[in-house]
Amino acid sequence: MRSEFVPVAHAVLTELASVVGPKNCISDPAGLRTYECDGLTSFRMVPGAVILPATTEEVVEAVRIARRANLPIVPRGSGTGLSGGALPVPGCVVIGLSRMRSILEIDLENAWMRVQPGVANLDISKRLASAGYYYAPDPSSQSVCSIGGNVAENSGGAHCLKYGFTVNHVLGARVVLGDGSVVDLGGPVLDTPGYDLIGVFVGSEGTLGIVTEVVVRILRKPEATRTFFATFPSTDEAGQTVSDIIAAGIVPAAVEMMDRLAIVAIKAATGLDWPDVGAALLMDVDGPVAEVEHTAAQASAIAARRGALEIRRPTDEAERLLMWKGRKSAFAAVGRISHNYIVQDGVIPRSEIANVLREIARLTTEAGLRVANVFHAGDGNLHPLILYDANVPGEEQRAEHLGGEILKLCVRSGGSITGEHGVGADKAPYMAEMFSEADLQAMAELRCAFDAENRFNPSKVFPTPRLCGDRPGKYVPSPLELSGEAGRG
Amino acid sequence: MSSERRAGTDADAVLGAIPRWVYSPKTTEEAREVIEATAAETLSLGFIGGGTDVQLGAPMRQLDALLQTGGLSRVVEYAPADMIVTVEAGTTLAKLSETLQQHRQRLPLDPPALDRATVGGAIAANSFGPRRARFGSVRDLLIGISIVRADGTRARGGGKVVKNVAGFDIPKLMCGSLGTLGLIVTATFRLHPLPEMEKTVLVRSRTAAQVRGLVARLKAGQLEPTSLVALSAAAARFDVAVRFEGFGAGVTQQAARFAELQQREGEPCEQLGDVDAQAWWKKHDDARTKGAIRAKIAALPNALETFLPKLEAVREHLVDSILVWYASLGLGFICGASSDLAAASRALADARSALEKANGSLTLQAAPQAIREWIGEWGTPPPAFSVMHRLKERFDPQQRLNPGRFVGGL
Repeated sequence: MRSEFVPVAHAVLTELASVVGPKNCISDPAGLRTYECDGLTSFRMVPGAVILPATTEEVVEAVRIARRANLPIVPRGSGTGLSGGALPVPGCVVIGLSRMRSILEIDLENAWMRVQPGVANLDISKRLASAGYYYAPDPSSQSVCSIGGNVAENSGGAHCLKYGFTVNHVLGARVVLGDGSVVDLGGPVLDTPGYDLIGVFVGSEGTLGIVTEVVVRILRKPEATRTFFATFPSTDEAGQTVSDIIAAGIVPAAVEMMDRLAIVAIKAATGLDWPDVGAALLMDVDGPVAEVEHTAAQASAIAARRGALEIRRPTDEAERLLMWKGRKSAFAAVGRISHNYIVQDGVIPRSEIANVLREIARLTTEAGLRVANVFHAGDGNLHPLILYDANVPGEEQRAEHLGGEILKLCVRSGGSITGEHGVGADKAPYMAEMFSEADLQAMAELRCAFDAENRFNPSKVFPTPRLCGDRPGKYVPSPLELSGEAGRG
Repeated sequence: MSSERRAGTDADAVLGAIPRWVYSPKTTEEAREVIEATAAETLSLGFIGGGTDVQLGAPMRQLDALLQTGGLSRVVEYAPADMIVTVEAGTTLAKLSETLQQHRQRLPLDPPALDRATVGGAIAANSFGPRRARFGSVRDLLIGISIVRADGTRARGGGKVVKNVAGFDIPKLMCGSLGTLGLIVTATFRLHPLPEMEKTVLVRSRTAAQVRGLVARLKAGQLEPTSLVALSAAAARFDVAVRFEGFGAGVTQQAARFAELQQREGEPCEQLGDVDAQAWWKKHDDARTKGAIRAKIAALPNALETFLPKLEAVREHLVDSILVWYASLGLGFICGASSDLAAASRALADARSALEKANGSLTLQAAPQAIREWIGEWGTPPPAFSVMHRLKERFDPQQRLNPGRFVGGL
């Protein structure tokens, strides 16, 4: 998908450059092309301008300039997103936060940390490692993806089965709104009186404002982690094993499943000596030693009972990390066995895994394509990787169609179109599969309360454009408004 | 409209206002009809569940009608294998717990008075109990919600799978919104397994500094209690209860390890038997609901020492006061009856001002009229109040849902 390039007026560029410095205001065609897509490379659009501010004040100035020129703004972190959330819109100003990468404050005793949005997810944990603390959400791209991007997308990762997602670990944020005002949402102290604005801001996909500081919750490392890698004849037995483990009252830190094609790809890419089998599970349990010894033994017994072919336990931390490296490199590995692929992010109830995987296999055969499955089995978050060759006429369309069918299947099974990648540009057309017009309208109200001019990331999330006109019906001004304490707008 | 309606009486009063009409819908559709019908007449409307937090917030500017959610008490869907449950908003937490126990599961949301506290009320009031230390608050457990908006339209947000980032987070918007944005009609929660074992270890008569040391010790020792509560009935001294839950082996190990760490520090502790443990946690629940004055305080967890003199000054003007402090969260409650309302007000205002300077807060959860008038329920509106104000306008343009009850007069 490619549309016409819309340039930003020279006078506006000059203004922007005066705020961030000419070096950090990009307007040359080659420079702009670097920002034409995020991790979802099938959607591309060259932005009108890109600026890389270094401070909250610079972001504020840039937002004011864009507003005066009535230009849309697309915020961007590291550009690793997989739903086109940072995809430029025609004539927009991309505000990239990659230069804001300082760690501002660490409070170990109260277990929080204040960072700038460009800090990489993994760098937070690295910084805390020697003190025995870490930041829990761990998207596979964690070595490069930024915490600001994580806030926008409410990123997950393998270990959110036990620990939750970004929204459960972000306590507060400093945010620049569409009118250039700066507000602090939440903060290190819990239960700020009022609406849970930080709760609704996390996962808003860059549509409500630009985050310039993030307060994250940090956790003490668990005493022990036990990992096992189990292989199965097919995804049926692997899926049953996951269900039985959960039914036994065990809450694993992570349970990941890979099917045959995913295993083949990972082996080819990493040289790991995994066997050729129908499915594999990689599971972590963590917590106090006695607890994990018990749960790991129980989980292994369940896997054996469900017909596991082999159960491996890493002998040391290096081997454990290697197993996880295999899992986390799965997307890249699949890229090596196929010219192109689409990754989907649908979620299904855990109990439906076996049924849905069989149905995906059927749809895939029908489409004459191949799908590799590598996913967060514990929470039913599928990542079907649809392999195709863009050089074969019609194959890309068939792959996209299959992707859509899989999303609809997830919704029909009681699930969601996205578990962690976000709606972005990619899945906006499928929102109506999941939500009614009234549901979307309620979400639009929320959007309008933050960004009435639709300044930030327009055309994302919602299937059709929405304006923030006054709601129909009689409007009654609040007493605050009448007394002049608060205005509308 | 088919919902039952009657004239309001003194017994229906909410913060001193007697509603003209009281509606008791039996289905979510009846509830929707009530909201639609009252919208047509621009009647102000309040919502009430079990009434456990009925004193929360400022008195409404007007209360024409009150909707009781008690008739909405069905379990809509319970999928034990997926560990999710969808229930109507008027379901009590105790009834829900009974249902979930059959599959050895629970919703670890444990505010006081579970037999009366409803799901919808707990969401709207952001109610919590000791287990928040491990399982988070209602926002961390709620994965889907269905509401009736001020104009009578139904809207849903979230879903029934735990992992889901599709669309804006309407469930979180409703958490703590105190019925000012819409009526919660059903809620979907993620569940947790019931633990195989639980053990409570009690450390008696600690100072605030010792409480802080104890929290640090638990963390350094990589222990993972599900509750950590310091309770002070006598000035400046705290009994600290630490509860471990999980599989037997893990719980036994953690309780023993904690005792060992305490021993090494020369701070003895005792592991409570089941009966004593139950009695202690009941004492905690009673403390939270006690007295005509209840103030919620929020600060950084290690700030108890700093603010204690201010909190003790409040207690000097209360009778039978109790300070409950969730030591790992930085949240607490001062509860008691007052002998001198004016003096108590001054002390509360003083404590609030100190807490707010440190980005904390003090909000009244219950208080006599005089104290409410002197110092207000909510304190200084938060920095992002302008956004909250616009949210209220977008969701309730007629300003008729619990008008004036929320922060800053929303």
